[in-house]
Amino acid sequence: MQYQMNEFLFAMILTELEDAVGKENCSTRAIDKVTHSVDYYWLSRMWADRGCRMPEADFVVCPKDATEVSKVVKIANYYKIPVTTWGAGGGTQGGAIPVAGGIILDTKRMNKIYEVNTEGMYIECGTGAIYKHIEWAANEVGKATMHYPSSLTCSTVGGFLAHRGIGVCSTKYGKIDDMVLQMEVVLPNGDIIYTSPAPKHAAGPDLNQIFIGSEGTLGIITKAQIRIFDQPEERRFRGFLFQDMTGAFKASRELLQKFKPSVMRLYDEAETASLIKKIVGVERKGAFMNIAYEGAREMVEVEEKILLDTFKKYGAEDLGSEYGEKWWKEKITFFYPGHMMDIPQMFGTMDTIAPYDKIEKIYWAMKKAIETNFPQAKFIAHFSHWYEWGAMVYDRFIIEGKDVPEDPVEALRLHQAVWTCGVRAALANGGVVNDHHGVGIKLGRLMKEQYGPAMQVFEALKKSLDPNGIMNPFKLGL
Amino acid sequence: MNMSEKCKQHVDSCRFCWMCHHICPIGNATGHERSTARARALGISLVNRGAIELDEIMDNIYECCTCGACVHDCTTGWDPVMFTKEVRLQAALEGKLPDYINKLVDNCIEYGNAYGKTELCDDLTAAIKAHADKTDLLLYLGVDARYMVCKQAVKAIKVLEKAGVSFTVLQNEPASGAQLDFLIGAANETKEQMAANAKILDGYKTVIVYDPNDAKAIRRTYKEYGVETSANVITYTAYLAKLIDDDKLKAQNGGKTVVFQDPYQLSRDLEETEEARKVISAFAELHEMLLNRGETVWAGNILMAEYLPDVIAEVSARRLFNVTSIGESAIVTASVSEYAALKNVKQDKVEVLSIEDLILG
Repeated sequence: MQYQMNEFLFAMILTELEDAVGKENCSTRAIDKVTHSVDYYWLSRMWADRGCRMPEADFVVCPKDATEVSKVVKIANYYKIPVTTWGAGGGTQGGAIPVAGGIILDTKRMNKIYEVNTEGMYIECGTGAIYKHIEWAANEVGKATMHYPSSLTCSTVGGFLAHRGIGVCSTKYGKIDDMVLQMEVVLPNGDIIYTSPAPKHAAGPDLNQIFIGSEGTLGIITKAQIRIFDQPEERRFRGFLFQDMTGAFKASRELLQKFKPSVMRLYDEAETASLIKKIVGVERKGAFMNIAYEGAREMVEVEEKILLDTFKKYGAEDLGSEYGEKWWKEKITFFYPGHMMDIPQMFGTMDTIAPYDKIEKIYWAMKKAIETNFPQAKFIAHFSHWYEWGAMVYDRFIIEGKDVPEDPVEALRLHQAVWTCGVRAALANGGVVNDHHGVGIKLGRLMKEQYGPAMQVFEALKKSLDPNGIMNPFKLGL
Repeated sequence: MNMSEKCKQHVDSCRFCWMCHHICPIGNATGHERSTARARALGISLVNRGAIELDEIMDNIYECCTCGACVHDCTTGWDPVMFTKEVRLQAALEGKLPDYINKLVDNCIEYGNAYGKTELCDDLTAAIKAHADKTDLLLYLGVDARYMVCKQAVKAIKVLEKAGVSFTVLQNEPASGAQLDFLIGAANETKEQMAANAKILDGYKTVIVYDPNDAKAIRRTYKEYGVETSANVITYTAYLAKLIDDDKLKAQNGGKTVVFQDPYQLSRDLEETEEARKVISAFAELHEMLLNRGETVWAGNILMAEYLPDVIAEVSARRLFNVTSIGESAIVTASVSEYAALKNVKQDKVEVLSIEDLILG
């Protein structure tokens, strides 16, 4: 990648970008640049908190559709300028930060809802649509997206696709990669392509899955057909208290061979004693688990009986529906300032996923690695996405502000060290770099450690599609 | 920048929080990241930390419509409107207002309205003249209705006439201070304008406030700024609902099916949502948009269109899309400013009506 800017070239490129997206949608103003330099990544927040300015883009452009995106990437390719795609900036991995300068391509003008198709059960929308907006569009016709992450209101459709996001009802309805039909993608050379009209096929590899999770390194997803579902006739909740997590894993594995609840969340003892106590009000020692099951009323009745019978076998104490309902009501409250960890604390979520034979071992290995190497860190976790074969662990480290270096570079070094330690412990025990937040710049260095020679597949795709290396450089380990 | 500790706390809480990212009507219309509460807070926090200059964020500070959707949405209770208004005040005190805002402020101070208008339209002048006699009941029209949408002001008068109400309208109505409050917050000039208005209102037993923006200022902001009035202040819609209850305004369903655009000043600031519905339901079949009452989405106004016309047109167009997306084709407003903004959108799918339009047929 060659990237040299001078005043003359800057002015020239600016006029071309303005021509592509309209003057009012192309900015070099400080407020736009700083706004797009800080996402939800702890390091970017810390950097700003210390009064430092993160790396900024030279240009912020907001195209309205694939045609304008195509024009922008063609300009970028010609001048060999980096293009970093920005959805709503709610990512935790620094994936949207323009670390190499160049162009920030903000997708939020591509927020049009083209069609709410209740026959095909999908909404076709621009990927700049905030997911909550397509949920509203679904609700207007009595449907729902069933994609309810804590970032529902602060992330775009494209953001979820780019980082392989997931919502709290994933066990029944799936992850974002299960929720998309056809996609429109702008390749780095400016070509506009469409993935297959339906996702389940034998027409070669699934193009969707090449671009989902690619974090803007292989192209820019500009339009998507997102699945919608009938609203369940009934949604019920049940809270349980397990003496320890081992029983909960056995019970859950058995339950999932019988039916799929929508929500399954198991909290370790530390998180039960902290967040669950604070938000949901459970003041008991043990591991709290919340289960939701939903759908046709008759099915829900049957599922409830299976749930109670199965969990009873493993010694779970039935706490009734109250805590589960409280949790559902407050499920996003956890993430508001005042409830959530925030600067000056240092924190991070090192989510990983593995089959049942490994997941609990991973939890203990990560806990030991963090608490041994960083005694100032607190380690809490919950297990929030479950499959017939395994589950993910959403484990977090928290370091109180008094133990966080004031010097931003020293703080960065500590942050990097904790992450490397935790993720390596996951990898060493059969986990992956990340479950559903993505890789970004935060974890790129660890991708090769997970994939080894398999990384050459990603690298070959990158080299072929983006020979100038302009698309979101230094992300995803590419 | 001189900023209260309370505001600093709110700024530092909001700067890294994305939870209300979906809710800003301006942000949703522009698709611009800067038009979010967190971006505004981040910019202010960087000014507070000396990383950027106040001048560099001022345009962004005036891109907030202060509708309070973000405040309403916040579970914790952080208040981006509060710190946005405080920055406006500080910028005014430090002489750092953008020129286009300075002009509006100067107009407010010199003419009592941000538009610099001095003449009322002939129809309104005549309608006011018919109610020049002093009574116990004052109809307070507000500057938007008087100077920018005078036909609606005339209709507001006619509705009361239809109900046989005896009332006064002022030929020289003082400004409520709402516009200055939007532009420069709790400045002395704002408070002085509010106090002068309160003094006039004190001369009446009851004041019907036509524009929800003025109603919010008089009933809520005045108290916050220590300005008091002895008059009983009632919103126009609440007064109409009372007229229906008293059988002075006769229900007459014209067969229309409509949705209602809740003005945020009524639904969020004054928590008044059912009065307008009572009135509308007496004259049409009322359906609901998905986002109604406290969840309402601001549909634009006249004041911000003075300096962001394209953005406000897009804000209004998006709200009209909310009407068509549920298969409806008529929207009724209770805010004269939202009425004007919605009417300004070039489209033919949605009929835009005021409550007065509905009543007068």
